[in-house]
Amino acid sequence: MTRAGDLCLSSAGARVSLATSSDDRHPAECIIDGNPETFWTTTGMFPQEFIISLNGLQKIGKIIIESSSVRSLKIYTSATKEPTDFEPCTDRELEHVEGQFHTEEITVSITGRPIDLHFSILQGLLWFAGIGATM
Amino acid sequence: MGKLSAKCIVAGDSTVGKSTLIQLFRSDGSHFPKNYSLTTTMDVITKTVQIPDSGDIVELFLCDSPGKAMFYEMTEGLWDQPGALCLVFDVTSETSFSNCGRWLQRIKSKTTSPYLPGVLVGNKTDLSGRRAVEKIQAEEWAASHGLEYFETSAKELENFDQPFRALAKSFHRLYQERVENFKSLL
Ligand SMILES: Nc1nc2c(ncn2[C@@H]2O[C@H](COP(=O)(O)OP(=O)(O)OP(=O)(O)O)[C@@H](O)[C@H]2O)c(=O)[nH]1
Ligand SMILES: [Mg+2]
Repeated sequence: MTRAGDLCLSSAGARVSLATSSDDRHPAECIIDGNPETFWTTTGMFPQEFIISLNGLQKIGKIIIESSSVRSLKIYTSATKEPTDFEPCTDRELEHVEGQFHTEEITVSITGRPIDLHFSILQGLLWFAGIGATM
Repeated sequence: MGKLSAKCIVAGDSTVGKSTLIQLFRSDGSHFPKNYSLTTTMDVITKTVQIPDSGDIVELFLCDSPGKAMFYEMTEGLWDQPGALCLVFDVTSETSFSNCGRWLQRIKSKTTSPYLPGVLVGNKTDLSGRRAVEKIQAEEWAASHGLEYFETSAKELENFDQPFRALAKSFHRLYQERVENFKSLL
């Protein structure tokens, strides 16, 4: 059985299959490493995207995302084998509080085959955003 | 190693030398376009800059914008969310210098960020006999608007890369500050 919060971890078989920006001191793998002290940074300009591929059959009721400097976020899902054919799942304006990582809970209803979650950061503050974790 | 990307708006009156400076910088000083060719659409030229002592690089997306009003108005929409700005004037033209304030306002209206790394460039210093804007005057204006000031002569290949390197550096510094800030929050 998988507890809520486990799915988006590399230890549960999740992996990052795409991330648009890179600083290898703060790689996108930090989003799913389960370590609260690590984070992914975007490295200039928006939009910025990352895709997390989940392992096995999934049923997802909630996505929790921890971020800083993210203003507007869109999530797409795809249940195909390759990360293509993404369908819009949710669209959020995040409340950005300067000097704080913000935790956002997004209620969703996703079931299906191996699932890819595609996160697109449309707008951020000062060109750089940080993503600490998704659950 | 990190790779940053900055959208950099290069703006200023027509014929001050924006395209010339960008072409020189792109070609590491090997290409000085001899004949004037009016910029009518926004050209984007990318160039990668190494940041000394860091192992990081900044890719500048230099947006070469038309100075002529008619063309500028058609491309203004492409200035959205700039990451850095480079204002250019011609040291032999008082008008091109006094118009810098207006160019600055236009760029600032495209961003929601409180701070935008920027430089002011006085170009054509080779035409010293026709100089109309004194260095001190330009320096003061730049400082009062939070810009770093550079003088260049694209024609004599003088300092042409300094303003762009300075922009890449400030952008990089901003990123580092941001990362430190994220670290302190977790
Ligand atoms: N003497 C001298 N001429 C220069 C210098 N830099 C550029 N020029 C000349 O100035 C003219 C205009 O240069 P451009 O770079 O096309 O000017 P621009 O700012 O891009 O102009 P627009 O595209 O109309 O906005 C050209 O004929 C250049 O050769 C310089 O440092 N010294
Ligand atoms: Mg031009």
